[in-house]
Amino acid sequence: MAQALNGLEYGMLLFLLSVGLTLIFGMLGVVNLAHGSFYALGAYAGIAVAVFTGSFWLALCVAPLVVAGVGAAIERSCLRPLYARGPNAQVLLTFGFIYVFDDLLRWLWGSHVRSVAPPAALAGVVALGPGRFPVYRIFVILFGLAVALLLWLALERTRLGAIVRAGVWDAEMAAGLGVNVARVFTAVFAAGAGLAALAGVVAVPIQAAYPGMGVEILVRTLIVVVIGGLGSLEGSLAGSLILGQAETFGKAWLPDSSMFIIYGVMAAVLLLRPTGLFGRALR
Amino acid sequence: MRSARRLALAGLVAVAALPWLVGSYPVKLAQEILIWGIFAMSLDLLMGYAGMLSFGHSAFFGLGGYVAALALRGWSPSLVSALVLPAAAAAAAGLVVGFLSIRVSGVYFIMLTLAFSQMFYAAAFNAEWLGASDGLPGVPRPRLIGLDLDRTEVFHLYILAFFVLALVALARVVRSPFGRVLRGVEDNERRMVALGYAVRRFKLAAFVVGATIAGVAGSLEAQFNGYISPEALFWTTSGEALLMVSIGGAGTLAGPVLGAAAFIGLQSLLSSYTEHWTLILGAAFIGFVLWAPEGLLGLARREAGG
Amino acid sequence: MGLTRRRFLRGVATTAAGAVLGGRARRARAAPAPLKIGLLLPYSNVYAVLGESITDGLSLVFERAGWTVAGRRVELIKEDDEVNPQVGLRKAKKLIESDGVDFLVGPVSSGVLAAIRDTVHQARQILIVANAGNDEISRDRCSRYIFRASFSNWQPNAPMGSWVAAHVAKEAYLVAPKYAAGFDMMRAFKETFVAAGGKVVGEDYTPFPVNEDFAPFLTKINQAAPKVVYAFFSGSQAVRFVRQYDEFGLRARSKLCGAGFLTESDVLPAQGQSALGIITGHFYSTLLDNPANKAFVRAFRAKYARTPDGFAVQGYDSAQVIAHGLTATGGDTRDKDRLLEALRGVEFDSPRGRFRFDPRTQNVIQPFIYVREVREVDGELANVVVDRIANVRDPGTGCTLPG
Repeated sequence: MAQALNGLEYGMLLFLLSVGLTLIFGMLGVVNLAHGSFYALGAYAGIAVAVFTGSFWLALCVAPLVVAGVGAAIERSCLRPLYARGPNAQVLLTFGFIYVFDDLLRWLWGSHVRSVAPPAALAGVVALGPGRFPVYRIFVILFGLAVALLLWLALERTRLGAIVRAGVWDAEMAAGLGVNVARVFTAVFAAGAGLAALAGVVAVPIQAAYPGMGVEILVRTLIVVVIGGLGSLEGSLAGSLILGQAETFGKAWLPDSSMFIIYGVMAAVLLLRPTGLFGRALR
Repeated sequence: MRSARRLALAGLVAVAALPWLVGSYPVKLAQEILIWGIFAMSLDLLMGYAGMLSFGHSAFFGLGGYVAALALRGWSPSLVSALVLPAAAAAAAGLVVGFLSIRVSGVYFIMLTLAFSQMFYAAAFNAEWLGASDGLPGVPRPRLIGLDLDRTEVFHLYILAFFVLALVALARVVRSPFGRVLRGVEDNERRMVALGYAVRRFKLAAFVVGATIAGVAGSLEAQFNGYISPEALFWTTSGEALLMVSIGGAGTLAGPVLGAAAFIGLQSLLSSYTEHWTLILGAAFIGFVLWAPEGLLGLARREAGG
Repeated sequence: MGLTRRRFLRGVATTAAGAVLGGRARRARAAPAPLKIGLLLPYSNVYAVLGESITDGLSLVFERAGWTVAGRRVELIKEDDEVNPQVGLRKAKKLIESDGVDFLVGPVSSGVLAAIRDTVHQARQILIVANAGNDEISRDRCSRYIFRASFSNWQPNAPMGSWVAAHVAKEAYLVAPKYAAGFDMMRAFKETFVAAGGKVVGEDYTPFPVNEDFAPFLTKINQAAPKVVYAFFSGSQAVRFVRQYDEFGLRARSKLCGAGFLTESDVLPAQGQSALGIITGHFYSTLLDNPANKAFVRAFRAKYARTPDGFAVQGYDSAQVIAHGLTATGGDTRDKDRLLEALRGVEFDSPRGRFRFDPRTQNVIQPFIYVREVREVDGELANVVVDRIANVRDPGTGCTLPG
């Protein structure tokens, strides 16, 4: 029971991370390997803001905006020329950005591990039956659910959401409807990067920030997205929850094979349903 | 074309003469470039010729290394241990992984191959009998009749011989009708299906050939270092090979070798001057993807063509 | 690109500065060939902080000596091993064969040490290990060319086993990362803890090198409610473990003890108040009250404007080993047997106490393993010494050095 809660919390963190990646893929058809770098950048920027202003909440607002700006710049300058060249070139480009960001972060903030304490209102533990659970982690669960709900509303109930959904189905058709697809692409990429940064800030009080954190988290994020089905919001949520539970229970009960479990889950899903749980055949 | 071949031959002769011309460290760098050149070429068969971007190629490189290490240490220091067993193991693994992976394509293929290589990594990392995180040390070089491979120049020629063997084999493969079908698949898979080609079977064959040669490269790496560790299996090892292929020029055989030389050269020389060599490497790589997708070789050709 | 060029120029400038320094030394005395020291350490990647600390500690010794030792100008050649065994091996070969270094110093990672051990031994290259603690290097894979000025994984943990059993509780839960060093450390602790009547009530090995979340393990610990949790983590994992341990409210229930790396100065600031009260065993603490340490801390603070940690001491002592060994041979590095003999015999006052090698293993005999508790001193977190165990030497089982 307590482990299920741990799994839920870990899953929500994975959701915050993966939803940006899946959005970007759904709209732009780009697998952004630099997504983990946006996460790391968000964490470091968040710490900088939190230390400078003393407010965790301000960090939670500012850092994602900064990273969204960086994302928009990268989309415009580097990704846009590659859309005509197919997915392999884009994957390789974002792979190159991993190296660049990794070094820049170390340059800017040094190699020391950094962290901030959770805001005072969220410190402490609550008793849950026989066990106890940190308040901050309950906040993470609720925050993740809120983001999921907001994103769902934005996609289903707003004009921009309709455009994005149309774009996922067929970018050419959306263009035919008079939508400025290029601008929407930039906006979605920026939003995806911002979401990764948001996950970074939320994760800092639990996981701290250090060089290499982006690469470490990247593979897990990709697994979530692939399990759920690329480009699907529901899939990303489902994939996060499944992986969160699988990894948590794997660690607790089968520590010798916990590394296998996550890859095993993914391989199994892909072999049975080659486009993931909620994915459809794309392009 | 003939001048290119002459150039390649002259290059090979020059490389063969290196141990008698320069110090032992540059020779070892050259050996490492040759080994990684073989690995990168084998990946290019998948990537540049058959359009399969695999992030799991390190699995076969590492597997070859581990099999060679075990066989050379524990069984016999022979060419069977150094060549036949690693190649066979990598081919068998390539058959299984390839069979499962080519059922999906595009991004899903990338992810599935990555997952398989990470499973190999996890297995080696957790296996006490494979030295777990520290890997297997003390891998001896094989004994060949009358040859002392512990001598640098002999080992150099030994690696060069493998390099030429891999180069010739791959050149044969890509120039054969089989190679032309692969190129067709890379251009337009659906058309090849419509033309009645058993595309999957061709892709699988390419995957197995690539895996086999990667296994040989891994075996050479283990002999070269006298050591193999789980890092050889990690997905970023595939990533580095992908960098080499794209920097050098995908879809050519000389390209990956050039790329290997550029990558290892940068890593070994640049890092002595600045700890920010990864930034330079990453930026250079992004530049290649954006402005010179055909790689160093393409740039050279463009230069030569006016 | 502007950035990279500037960095490049700075690199050139440092090289030039080195040349000027060397120039001064040469003028001071018509010296023979320079003394080349190759540093094989991580300068990028996760452990870059440790590489920096070791380098800073080492530089301090040579700087004090005006970059000359026994009449020879000291030349440092730094190579980044990236914490990757393959890269480390390549760089080690470069330092040995291309640069022809007289001494090799490093590495941080036990994986890199395991990888370069045979190459170093076969090349008859003198290596001063400045961090990596693999027990095997003092046991069946020891070499007469390898000296360890840092520690073996066994050293801080075995004394802690008996100490915890005697002073804290006889019921412990063990947690460590699942790789060679984690196993080494827990094995050593268990050995003496069980011998002293202690009981291990649970034991977990966590995924390595990647593990973001300790919640599953902390929940298990919470359910087991042991009196003591004994842990080994370092770097980012040490920060996470200590923070999450506190987050789950375990600090009030189970006393957290561990190997010193859990609360070293490199991670203590990021751990913050969560680290208060943790008890660890280590060969050093910044607060040690001896003249050598006071001088060291003062000099280090003056030069680098920060507090030194155990890693800096390892670099400092590696340099002192080289300096004392070389002085004993009058600056001669040609006669290897003589140099090895001199190194085996070095003895000096280190910040950690009187430094000596164990002739059987060529691993340092820790003058003391200090039992330290994290407390607030002058508004800063520090490892305060509460007890100490003297003359801790690795058992060296299986090592066949003549000694």
